[in-house]
Amino acid sequence: MASRPPNADKEAQAYLPDFCAAGAIFVVVLVAEIVAILLTLAAHTTPGTFLTELAKMSMFILWLALLSAAILCKIRPWVEKFGGTQAFVFSFLLLELLSLVFAELTYQLTRIYGEAVIINESHIGFILRTFAISSIVIALAMRYLYISSEWRRSIVLEAQARISALQALIRPHFLFNSMNTIASLTRTDPARAEEAVEDLADLLRANLGGPKDRTTLKEELEVAAIYQRIEKLRLGERLNVRWNVGELPMRALIPSLTIQPLLENAIYHGIELLPDGGEVTVNGVRSDDDLEIEIMNPVPLDQSASKDGNQMALANIRQRFELAYGGAATVEVQESDDAFSVKLRFPCEEHEA
Amino acid sequence: MRVLIVDDEAPARDRLSSLLADSDEHEVVGEARNGEKALEIAGTTLPDVVLLDIRMPGMNGIETAHHFNSFESPPAIIFTTAYDEYAIEAFDARAVGYVLKPVRRERLDRALEQAARLSNMTLSEVAKRSGISDRRKHICVRAQGELKLIPIRDVFYFHADQKYVRVHHENGTDLIDDSLKHLEEEFGDEFVRIHRAALVAVRQIDSLKKTTDGQTLVTLRDAAQDEDDSLIISRRHVADVRRRIKGK
Repeated sequence: MASRPPNADKEAQAYLPDFCAAGAIFVVVLVAEIVAILLTLAAHTTPGTFLTELAKMSMFILWLALLSAAILCKIRPWVEKFGGTQAFVFSFLLLELLSLVFAELTYQLTRIYGEAVIINESHIGFILRTFAISSIVIALAMRYLYISSEWRRSIVLEAQARISALQALIRPHFLFNSMNTIASLTRTDPARAEEAVEDLADLLRANLGGPKDRTTLKEELEVAAIYQRIEKLRLGERLNVRWNVGELPMRALIPSLTIQPLLENAIYHGIELLPDGGEVTVNGVRSDDDLEIEIMNPVPLDQSASKDGNQMALANIRQRFELAYGGAATVEVQESDDAFSVKLRFPCEEHEA
Repeated sequence: MRVLIVDDEAPARDRLSSLLADSDEHEVVGEARNGEKALEIAGTTLPDVVLLDIRMPGMNGIETAHHFNSFESPPAIIFTTAYDEYAIEAFDARAVGYVLKPVRRERLDRALEQAARLSNMTLSEVAKRSGISDRRKHICVRAQGELKLIPIRDVFYFHADQKYVRVHHENGTDLIDDSLKHLEEEFGDEFVRIHRAALVAVRQIDSLKKTTDGQTLVTLRDAAQDEDDSLIISRRHVADVRRRIKGK
């Protein structure tokens, strides 16, 4: 019942950059130095001591920055398990804690050894000031990292969805079998052959029209019905589809080409493999602000047939739902010895017009 | 040539038979919508060549061809395939006869001219390349010219009886041509060797019993057990049988 395959999870997640890499460390040093210059410039009053002040400031900030990078480098594999946003929050809190400890340590050290670096302010004042500055810098850095990682993530998702949409195109198996059916009907039943050609043309047009993001349920169900008509010619009595979708608002939006590929799967991996055929059931219900569409089909008990194709169509629909609705939609798969079902649940958004 | 058409889709059968109806050389002697039916009517229709769909429910084309091969004079086989079994194209058309759907008349004529019977080894290779399971779901028995298919899941055990192997199943016993060694290779997942001459369905084993003279005996779930000693486990196989029962 996992709603996403592990692979897609990994790629689609927000992630921290790798602070063990030389490039990242260089950037950390650079940013630390910029902050040091900024702070020294802001505080600098006595002429002639700028470089000394900058050196002291740099030492403090570089230590803190490099230590932070080292810690992030070590904990990355571990916080990554929390997933996106939480990893960032956790890292932020950890660095805050680190800067507190580091400030306290520095204060104690300068009291013992610090003739060169005398801190002429109160203990609590120094700690608070350091903490405030480091909080702001860390928060800014984290926010930047988070946004750029989200941005990368959305690019990856979009690219995947685009590839998926291409893969969603009708199976060649179906196309060639349909052609064969039509070739046969031109002799035995020209009228039906004509209808079949028209249906096939409509179906191809819907597919080649490419991945429109969303379409109305009405249109999506029409495409599925056309598909069903063509398959019915080929499979005859063996194929039955029960549509319980009267409850669904037909103007609601759904990512295009989702129900038809699921129906195709149900037939290819289920009905076609049963000597006496069977019935695909499509149930649509509206619950609260969500729509639920479930496609169920019987499968043969002896499942030696490969299921790879199934996985591909499903992964593709998952990606497109993720892209369209983020976490608000789910794609659930249920399998038993003799049945297979996919349940789509997504927010009901109506077409404005 | 006498042609038998086997395809689960009616329009696909119609197409082939109407293409062949125009021909003087060929005659359609039968049509079947699955492998079982095809084998059933092959005994009376005596085809020279079988036009066989690969992807069919129940018994697929590969298994059907295997069973045809056990005939005394096996018919030639031509596979008819849609796109997804295109891996078959990797074969020389002479080595494995096939026509692609939608079927072209010239292509069909050429395939019929060159039609030849396929060895079991070639069939296994076709299955492998097409990603289809090559394991039979049925055992083919011929008794008094009648052809009988015994589903593997109905088999209790195989027992080698001098020259032949006897299969004990839900509806009695029959003699078959397969060797015990070959059966073990093909169905090793579900069957276990209990002695030199017997292969028992693991899922049928109820328990192991000790006899008074210290031998270990297999008792079966559904089979009426004879009083013969065919199901005594040889000492060499006891450990293996125990492990297989535990693992099921």
